Amino acid sequence: MLTSFVSDYVRYVLKGGTKFYAWMGSLAVLIVGMLYVFYLQNTDGLIVTGMTSQIHDGLYFANLVFLVGVAAGAVTIVFPAYGYHHEGMHKVAVLGEMLAITAVTMVMMFVFAHMGRPDRLWHMIPIIGIYNFPHSMLGWDVLVLNGYLMLNAICGFYYLWCKYTGNPINRKWFIPVVWIAIVWALSIHTVTAFLISTMPARPMWFHSMMPIRFITTAFAAGPALIILIFLIIRKNTKFWVDDSAIKLLTTIVTWCLGIAIFLTLSEVVVELYARTEHANGLYYLMFGLHGLTKLVPWFWSAVVLMVGAFILFLIPRFRNDFKLLTIPCTMAFAGIWIEKGMGLIVPGFIPTPIGEVTEYYPSFVEVLLTLGIWAFGFFILTILLKGAIGILLGDIKYGGAKAVAAK
Amino acid sequence: MALNENPSADPAGAPASADPDKAVLKTTRRDFLKAGGMLSMSSLMGTAALMTQSGDAHAAVEWAEHFQKNYRLMTAEEKAEAKARLERRYSAEYGKQVTVDTTDAQPGVLMGYALNIRKCIGCRRCVHACVAENNQSRGKERAGEKIEWIQVLRMERGKFEAEKMNHGYPEGLGIQVGGNAYTPAGLVLEGQYHYNPEKVPEEDATYMPIACMQCEKPPCVKVCPVRTTYREPDGPVVIDYNWCIGCRMCMGACPYWARRLNVTNPVLPKEEMNPVTHYLGNRPRMRGVVEKCHWCLQRTRHGRYPACVEVCPVGARKFGNLLDPESEVSKILQRKNVFRLKAELNTFPKFFYFYD
Amino acid sequence: MKKIAIYATILAICGGGLYSVVAAEKTAEPAAAAEAPKEPLVCFESRKGASEITQREIKPGWPNVKCSPTTGAALWYGDPFEGTVPMGKMPGLENLPEGHALVKPRSEKLNILPMCGTACHNGVGPQFNPPTLPKDKKPIPIPTMEGLVPDVKDLQHGRGRIWCLDCHHTTKRNMLVDHFGDPISFDQPQLLCGKCHGDKLRDWRDGIHGKRIGEFASNGKKRWFTCTECHNPHNVQDGVRNRGFIQLQPEPSPQLPKGMANADHEKVHPIPH
Repeated sequence: MLTSFVSDYVRYVLKGGTKFYAWMGSLAVLIVGMLYVFYLQNTDGLIVTGMTSQIHDGLYFANLVFLVGVAAGAVTIVFPAYGYHHEGMHKVAVLGEMLAITAVTMVMMFVFAHMGRPDRLWHMIPIIGIYNFPHSMLGWDVLVLNGYLMLNAICGFYYLWCKYTGNPINRKWFIPVVWIAIVWALSIHTVTAFLISTMPARPMWFHSMMPIRFITTAFAAGPALIILIFLIIRKNTKFWVDDSAIKLLTTIVTWCLGIAIFLTLSEVVVELYARTEHANGLYYLMFGLHGLTKLVPWFWSAVVLMVGAFILFLIPRFRNDFKLLTIPCTMAFAGIWIEKGMGLIVPGFIPTPIGEVTEYYPSFVEVLLTLGIWAFGFFILTILLKGAIGILLGDIKYGGAKAVAAK
Repeated sequence: MALNENPSADPAGAPASADPDKAVLKTTRRDFLKAGGMLSMSSLMGTAALMTQSGDAHAAVEWAEHFQKNYRLMTAEEKAEAKARLERRYSAEYGKQVTVDTTDAQPGVLMGYALNIRKCIGCRRCVHACVAENNQSRGKERAGEKIEWIQVLRMERGKFEAEKMNHGYPEGLGIQVGGNAYTPAGLVLEGQYHYNPEKVPEEDATYMPIACMQCEKPPCVKVCPVRTTYREPDGPVVIDYNWCIGCRMCMGACPYWARRLNVTNPVLPKEEMNPVTHYLGNRPRMRGVVEKCHWCLQRTRHGRYPACVEVCPVGARKFGNLLDPESEVSKILQRKNVFRLKAELNTFPKFFYFYD
Repeated sequence: MKKIAIYATILAICGGGLYSVVAAEKTAEPAAAAEAPKEPLVCFESRKGASEITQREIKPGWPNVKCSPTTGAALWYGDPFEGTVPMGKMPGLENLPEGHALVKPRSEKLNILPMCGTACHNGVGPQFNPPTLPKDKKPIPIPTMEGLVPDVKDLQHGRGRIWCLDCHHTTKRNMLVDHFGDPISFDQPQLLCGKCHGDKLRDWRDGIHGKRIGEFASNGKKRWFTCTECHNPHNVQDGVRNRGFIQLQPEPSPQLPKGMANADHEKVHPIPH
């Protein structure tokens, strides 16, 4: 039964139109490019990136942090589906889990990209290595991320398996696991926030608002991406995502975005009113420091995108017209990507704890590697969603392989 | 075997403990360990050579290095093996007899450092002495190839000026409630690191060298996911370079920006390489790992002053045993006004700034 | 031209015992860079014009000293005790084990020192017999000494309140003098300087002031840098200095991190005032 599941799944997933192959092919090209620059980076070292001893976390870490948010964002589908028994959401909950799996996989890849010695990552594996638990926040992060990956894989694929075989879901253990996954989703982003907010050396991050800012931005960016994906699915497959699901997601995005903007503004007021030395990072981000202003356009574009998206979300025409809805969703996603990535990680290093101001700009290698990982993410997301939709539609069914092949 | 030459017993080398007997004893013990080490090494090397499918000793040694344990978990035999392996690789790589010391912390010693902030003239001799001693990467071609552990900050003395008396605060916003009659005076941790005047000290500047503070409660150690960096019993915070995964959490956590990343394969010319090394100290590092000041463990474990202390032309740098009330650092703590950088972070540095 | 004339006179007076080097101390040779490996590389230790050290190889790959190619300063010691002799009796350091307190003899660096005790002040000068040595410590111009030691003419130490014979022995001119009129060796200037600068002497003795190299243990074997290795006693107030130490050329600044074209931004205040 398991082998037939795998073979049916693979056969279904590999089949597609020109559009599908073109999409996958172009992603594959980027992935190959990524492998090349990854090789460069691991023979010549991180010198091929824009990172320095001063600013030692850059694009990779920024994407890592952002994608943890996207992964956590999947809970905005799962929670209404199981917590509030939302019909529309329940139907697509498994798609959210697929997205979470993808996002966590991408996070792992960014971890590899970020490491100075990816060949030594096994040092973190307990027993053969040393796992600095519970002191190291990174240790916690690895734990919760792997746990989240596993929970989502179990929930998602068990659900699909049941749909495939037609067996009823064993709710006795499935529902508790789903609930664990829901709480766990919060933990991954909280721990990621703790990763950087527990460093008094970096005053820009050292405040207790970090976790909630992370969660709200995650629950804005994640569902924004999910809405976009759902709209694409509605357009390109026979699978119909209920309007009610998209509408609920829109509401979640709107208000999480609103809270995120509010928190950002609060921080700006608190930091800039007193204007202590500890506000230097934020000041650099907003206006520049010592006349160095590379990040200023990033910050203000993020502000424009986020505030603009929020306003558009509040306009009923944009909210209800699913064609127009893509605009604020894209804006919110891009805005948060900037705010949480370049806008949060990089200025944390400017100035250094001893007051040296330097600037960072990602190199070509970094950009290509990042794009490659995103391409890889979309690659596996396409596969996972295609397979899941196939099962949900009944295209992949135990004993129904012939019917699929005949099509 | 020439490799076994104990640098500490060599009068010309790093000067050792005053007691020559101790040095001799050490050598014999080391020899013994090495003999054992070599035996088990050879079997490992054989496997390694088979695995890499190459007769290249260097590659085989590097291969074996991949599978060694965290230094603190190694048995004495494994340490000796690792030491012999490294000595072989380094000696071949740098064309001279390189020794890798594994001397442990000496009982009754807790190292401490004091720097007379009033005396420092900002000449950066300590910075370069450190590089000469500690085998940092020193390439010039690409940014990032040159690593220095000590930073000297030039801070402006600043002044208050009569002409600025009428400038107010907030400037241009109606009623002024504050003053602006200053050019920042007494600023800490703000100034120039790349100053380059013809002569130092400049009249309008003060200088503050900053390096690892060897905290008693080091935040960098807490965040390390693999426990590769830790505080040694005699004080310094060290790194097992072979265990470091290059995640850079420690760099983010350090409030003194004391840690550097080897962004590329270190550029270390053969003739400039210092052949007397310590496993946890100045042995050549590799790409992708973090490094930092360790108070010249290869020297201080044998009783010698760190390199920066020895070259400071004004004698601003002081080093000694905090457990010895007669040491210069203890005397400074007893007699002078001292402060620690960012004391509010409760990292409890063992590096003290003081002034006359 | 005038200078040469003075030198000629002195040479005549002192019987031609002195030649070439007239300054009180040898001037440091500019650091010969790597281009001329044949030339012995001499680097200065604390300040330019005082102690120096010649680079040589102790064993393969292990020099006695590494010199800065930029400034010619000693940057690293392979052998901290090279050229040292026991410090001699020093009150307060009696507890140190024998031979653990070392100094580099200053007398070797003071070129005319050997002459001082013999050529003129031993009473066999060509022009005067016996030489007219000052009866008291009241300052009087001595053209001979001013010619020999240019610092003397513009003695800044004490700002006119002390004179040569407050530090130098009246009759034993190759010696310094203590409060009782007894001679002190030029290798132990701390005994002289401590006459006035007692607080500094105390700090120096405890290792707080000044510099020591070698073993860090409180009873370890150390080379102690004496007062005059770092301070020129004649012109302590000379030049632009705000640390009691003469200005010198700094070593090169750190490499600019990637992405930075220059460090001009550092000269700008973080926020415009």
